[in-house]
Amino acid sequence: MSEPILITGIGIVSAIGLDRAETLASLRAERTGVSALRFLKTDHHEFPVGEVPLSTDEMAERMGIPEGQPRTRTALMGMMALQQALKEARLEASDMARAAFVSGTTVGGMDMSEQFYLDFLNNDLHNDYISQHDCGACTESIADHFGPFASVSTLSTACSSAANAMINGANDLRCGRHEIAVVGGSECITKFHLNGFNSLMILDHEQCRPFDETRAGLNLGEGAAFLVLETEASARRRGVKPLGVLEGYGNACDAFHQTASSPDGEGSYRAMKEALADAGLTPADIDYVNAHGTGTPNNDSSESQAMMRLFGADMPPVSSTKSFTGHTTSASGSIEAVICLLALQEQFLPVNLGWQHQMPDGITPVTDPHPQRPLRHVLCNSFGFGGNDSSLVLALPTDTEPAASDKQVTEKQATANIPVYITAAEQISIQKGLCEEWIENPIRYEEPYVRSLDVDFKQWFTPSESRRMGKLLKRALATSLTAMQKSGTEHPDAVITGTGLGCIENTEILLTHLCEEGEENCKPTPFMQSTHNTISSLVSIHTRSHGYNATYAHKEASFDCALEDAWLQMQLRCIQTALVGGQDEMTPKYFGLLCKTGYLGHPGQTAGEAAVSVMLDTNASEKALCRLTYFKRCYRPTQDLLAQVAAEIGKVSAVMTAVTGQVHPDSPMLRTAATLFPDTPLLQFKNLFGESYTAYGLGLYATAQVLHHQQLPEDMLIPGCGQPTALSRILVLNQINDKDYTFAVLEAL
Amino acid sequence: MEELIEQLKKQIIEVLNLEDVTPADIENDAPLFGEGLGLDSIDALELIVMMEKEYGIKLKNPAEGKEIFKSINVMAQYVNEHRTK
Repeated sequence: MSEPILITGIGIVSAIGLDRAETLASLRAERTGVSALRFLKTDHHEFPVGEVPLSTDEMAERMGIPEGQPRTRTALMGMMALQQALKEARLEASDMARAAFVSGTTVGGMDMSEQFYLDFLNNDLHNDYISQHDCGACTESIADHFGPFASVSTLSTACSSAANAMINGANDLRCGRHEIAVVGGSECITKFHLNGFNSLMILDHEQCRPFDETRAGLNLGEGAAFLVLETEASARRRGVKPLGVLEGYGNACDAFHQTASSPDGEGSYRAMKEALADAGLTPADIDYVNAHGTGTPNNDSSESQAMMRLFGADMPPVSSTKSFTGHTTSASGSIEAVICLLALQEQFLPVNLGWQHQMPDGITPVTDPHPQRPLRHVLCNSFGFGGNDSSLVLALPTDTEPAASDKQVTEKQATANIPVYITAAEQISIQKGLCEEWIENPIRYEEPYVRSLDVDFKQWFTPSESRRMGKLLKRALATSLTAMQKSGTEHPDAVITGTGLGCIENTEILLTHLCEEGEENCKPTPFMQSTHNTISSLVSIHTRSHGYNATYAHKEASFDCALEDAWLQMQLRCIQTALVGGQDEMTPKYFGLLCKTGYLGHPGQTAGEAAVSVMLDTNASEKALCRLTYFKRCYRPTQDLLAQVAAEIGKVSAVMTAVTGQVHPDSPMLRTAATLFPDTPLLQFKNLFGESYTAYGLGLYATAQVLHHQQLPEDMLIPGCGQPTALSRILVLNQINDKDYTFAVLEAL
Repeated sequence: MEELIEQLKKQIIEVLNLEDVTPADIENDAPLFGEGLGLDSIDALELIVMMEKEYGIKLKNPAEGKEIFKSINVMAQYVNEHRTK
C-alpha cells in the first residue's frame, strides 16, 4: 500500500463560478453555466457554450498582468485557479522549491494564434505571441506567475490532460521526488477547436443532455482547476489540514480509434478497474461516479457499457456535470475532481442536469441530489481522443495518524533506484534513418534548416492505412514499430510521447483555412491530427496496446517529460516496459516563425526534425544497448541544488550536451557542464542531428548507440572541451534558456 | 449520371487521399464503408464536407451520411437530386 496522497488546496474557475464557493452554489442550485456565446469571436453563434463570465482583459486585470504583456486566456484562467489552490494550501514562493507543477492543456495559446496567425507570417505586429502558442509556454506562464517550482511539465492527452497531470504528479510524490505536486489543467474555448468539434459533428445545438436518449452532442466549455497534492509528512510539518485524498488512479488506452470510443468501452473499463485496484477498493465501495459523460451519442453509450461491465447490477449513483460547465476539454479532469471533492465535503450528489429520457442501453443518471448512503469513495472519469482514458478515486481524509515517520520514508525512497535498460533506440531524422550510419559516415550540414531524410514507409503500412497520416505520424509509427520489433516487445506496458508542437503541419492547414477562408467547410482530419496525443494514440491503436498512454508537450523538454514519466513508473514498479518517443516536425512556415522568436536561425545552427523511439525495460536482456541509471529534471534550481545533483551523479566519462549552433565555451550550457563536472570531456549531438523541440531524445538515442557500439564520431567532440578516454558512463544534459535542466546518466553494459 | 459518377470517384480519391486506388477500382454498387473501400467514420465526415463544398448539400446529422454513402450509385443519385450547385 502506497503512502496516501493528500489534497491540501483546490482552485477552480469555470462557467459556473470563479471560485469554489460560487461553483458549489451553482451545483447546489442546479444552475447551468451553459448559455449563448459572449466572448469568443466566431460565426458559430448557434452553439451554446460554457464560457467563464469574464473577458480576457478582465482576467488579466484581476491577475495584475500589465497591458502590453502577452496574455492568453488559457494561462490567465490557470493563474486564477492556481492562486486559489496555493492560498488554501498556504504555499508561499519559498515552498515552491519542494513542489512539482504539472499542468494539462491542448489548446495552449491558440486563442491568440488564431487571431494573429497571418500577422505572425506577414509582419512583426504580434511576434510576442508566437512563443506563447505552444502548451509548454502556457504552463510556464502560469507557474512563473507564482514562484520557482522545482519542476514544470505539460501533459497533453486532449480531454484527459488534467486527469493525467494529476496521475503524473501523484507518481512523483509516491516516488519521493517532491513533497508537493501542484496539478491540474486549463483550457479556454477557441475558434480552432469549436470548428474542429463542429467538423466532427459532435456539438449539440441545444443544451447538452448527457446519458439522455435524445442527446445530440456536447457543449464546449472552458475553465481551469488546480489541486495541491502533498505527502502526509509534508502536510503535517506545515500544519495544513487535508481536504481530501487521492486514493488511486488508472490510465489505459482504448486503442480503438482516433476520435471514437469502442462500443464496449474497453479503455474506460480498464482505467476504472485499475484505479479501483490502485486504491485497494472493490466496485461496491464506490458511492458516486462523476462520469466523463460528454453528451455525444458515442461517449455516453460506450461509457455506459464500461460502467455496466464494472459495476454489474449494483450501479452507484452516476452523473455528468458537463451540463453545468460544458465540456472543459483538457481542464475537465481537474475541474471534475474538484467537483467530486465538493460533493464529498458537502455530502450531496451533483445532478445530471437536463436528463429526461432513458437510453435503452445506458445507465440511469442522478436526478436527486440526496445520497442514499454516505459518500466515502468517488470515482472521476476523464477520457480523451485517441482513447486516452483515465480514472481517479477520491475520498475524504481519514483522521488516523500515519504510522511511518519521515525518516523511514526517506530510507525507503533512497533504496528504490531501479536501473532501466534501453533495449532498442531508433530514429528518423536529418541523419540516415533506422540505422547507425552516422557513427561512421555522418552527414554534415551547413544549412539553417533541413527536412528529415524519410524512409520507404510502405513496409509498415499500406497507403490506404496511412491515408490520414502526415509525415510525422509515419515517422513516429515506423520508429516505434522498429523499436518494438528489435526489442521483442509486442505490447509495451506504457507508450509515452513527447512532442513540442505535435503535427504542426495539420495545425497550419486548419489555421490557414480559418484565417483565409473563414469557418465554413472545415475538415475534420487536420483538427484531429492537431491534437498532440494523436501520435501516441496512433502507436497504441496500430499495435492494439491497452497499457498506459500519455503525451507531453513542453517545448524543448517534451521528450524529457516523457522519459521522466516512464522512469517514475519504473521506479514504482508500475510498469516493466515503456516505449518513449520524441516526435516533432518542422514546416517552412513554422521555421520562419521560430526564427522570429529567437529559438532558431542562429549562426551554425541547423533546424531539423526528430522522430525517435526508445524502448525501456526494467529487466536486463542481452538485447540491451545500455542502462539508464539516473534521471532528474529541475526547473529553476539553485546553485546548491545543481551541486547536489552533480554529487549524486558522481564521475562520468563525458557529458553529452545539448549545445546548439556555433559553440561558445561561455554558452550557459557548456559553462554549467564545465562547472558541475570539471575535467570532464564535453560532447555535442545537435551539430549532427539538428535543433528541434524533441532533439534531446535524439541526444539520448545517440548516446545509447555510442555506448553500445563503443565508438564516438569525431564530430561529437567539442574543440577545446576534451576527449573521453573511455565510453562507459555518459551524462546526457539538457538545459533550456538557463533553466529547465534534465540529467540522464547512461552506462555501458 | 455517368459523368457525375466518374467525378465523384475522383473526388473521393482526392479528398480521402487514397493513393493506391484508381476510379476503376471503385465499383458502382460496392459498399464504400466497411468491407468495400474500407472507409470509416472520419472519411464519412470528410465526404460530408466535400458534398457541401462541391455540391452545396448540407447534412445536419452524421447518421444521414451512412445511408447516402452506401455505394457510388446511391451517392450519385442523392447528389443529383439534392445539389444546389
